[in-house]
Amino acid sequence: MTEERTIKLDRLRYTKNTASSRLVYLAILLDVFFFVSIYKSDVGSYYYNILIGASILYNLIFMLAAFLASEGVKNYKKGYTWLLMALGAIQVARIFIIPVQAHAATITIKKVSYQVMENSQFIRVTLYLALSALCLFAAAVINLQKSNALASHIASLEGQKA
Amino acid sequence: MAELSLQHIDKIYDNNVQAVFDFNMDVKDGELIVLVGPSGCGKSTTLRMVAGLEDISGGKLFLDGRDITQTPAKDRDMAMVFQNYALYGHMTIYENMAFSLTLRKENPNVIHKKVLAAAEILGLTSQLNKKPAQLSGGQRQRVAMGRSIVRNPKVFLFDEPLSNLDAKLRGATRREILLLHKRLGATMLYVTHDQTEALTLADRIVCMSMGHVQQIGTPLELYDSPANLFVAGFIGLPPMNFYDVKVENGSLHGKGFTVELTDEEKDTLSGYNGKEITLGVRPEDIAEGGSLPVKVFSNENLGMNTLVHGHMGDNNRISAKLRGWTNYKNGDIVNVTFKRKHFFNKETTNAIRKEAR
Repeated sequence: MTEERTIKLDRLRYTKNTASSRLVYLAILLDVFFFVSIYKSDVGSYYYNILIGASILYNLIFMLAAFLASEGVKNYKKGYTWLLMALGAIQVARIFIIPVQAHAATITIKKVSYQVMENSQFIRVTLYLALSALCLFAAAVINLQKSNALASHIASLEGQKA
Repeated sequence: MAELSLQHIDKIYDNNVQAVFDFNMDVKDGELIVLVGPSGCGKSTTLRMVAGLEDISGGKLFLDGRDITQTPAKDRDMAMVFQNYALYGHMTIYENMAFSLTLRKENPNVIHKKVLAAAEILGLTSQLNKKPAQLSGGQRQRVAMGRSIVRNPKVFLFDEPLSNLDAKLRGATRREILLLHKRLGATMLYVTHDQTEALTLADRIVCMSMGHVQQIGTPLELYDSPANLFVAGFIGLPPMNFYDVKVENGSLHGKGFTVELTDEEKDTLSGYNGKEITLGVRPEDIAEGGSLPVKVFSNENLGMNTLVHGHMGDNNRISAKLRGWTNYKNGDIVNVTFKRKHFFNKETTNAIRKEAR
């Protein structure tokens, strides 16, 4: 291992994993953009069903869990990698729940048919969720790599001491 | 490292108050200079002018022969350690120490090496992941020093760095600064109002009062040969005893007491016969067993010595540091002698020396 690489690894002992935690903050921000944009296109009472409550509740849980994970990955806690992966997967799944369904749905009011979600809005909210998921996956992968590298570096240091 | 030269430095504030008058000094490479004096004497102002935190109203400042009088603080290549540590509470010790280099956008690997090296010197390696609030005052001051070390500056500036520490910690940190100075061989300017710090740390001391330099010299020079009454009174603990006396026929006549002079002292004072001068005697230069009776009013046992306070002659206050453990009571009479005397011109307050005649 080169000296550069060793120093880079050793730096992990004293510096935070800000790359991962910042990516998670970005994911939360994109989720907020998604959430404030999704119900803009309400036509009639399309969104007034059980999903609206569930989505609000999930959004709160998402933000809480993501923030918790951001603090965890900042300190190279490996366990939070899996939480970030799960949150990322759910963000992808969310694309197929409200946006895809609303984009496909039409409502007829006074014999005039309206598309619930226009193409432009659909693309925007889908992009928010997809990017949010991407940030979460990237944060998870970076954290996994760094926490593994740090663990093996600490193990080798302890081996040298012994 | 660096040579610093202060030439005719003045500091005049906007309200026309002059804080520093004609400060002249050449600091040699690797020298530790201590600026000492009471509050408001201009020592911190001088240090801040050197650092570039205060404008220089008059005179010139040179670093390695380069005029830096108008150079901004950030470009002077000097690091300052403050009394209140000035650490960032939300950052770890590692981040605090690395901060200045991070701002300069240095290579993170280089920063890492420098921070670890400084932490090793200061014994902070095990504290690097902690926040300042988790450290003791002495450790925080070491972090502040570490932050300076990583920059590898030409000159280190210390502004009363030990004032916030308790007495025990102050002693320990003082020794660490001394070791650090020896290890780094750096040019250092150190401001304090504590004469013990000045005497123990300095290669040379600058004693200041009311904005004026009173004396520049080694600690021994200032202690043994004070230039004037101010230096004599300021350096030394307990302070020197002073008496107004008249020189007459080889003796000094004070209020209710007479002190005989040695031949050498007579020679020194030969031009002052019949004149009034100020006699100065350090408490540690007073010994038991002479012809001067002292009426004791206080007895402080210090372990190896006893500090005896009393009156001599017509109510002249005297403090004597006597050897050993004594138990004088209020009203006891002790006969003392002056082993060493200092003489000062009453008008100019300057020391009277043979060569000064």
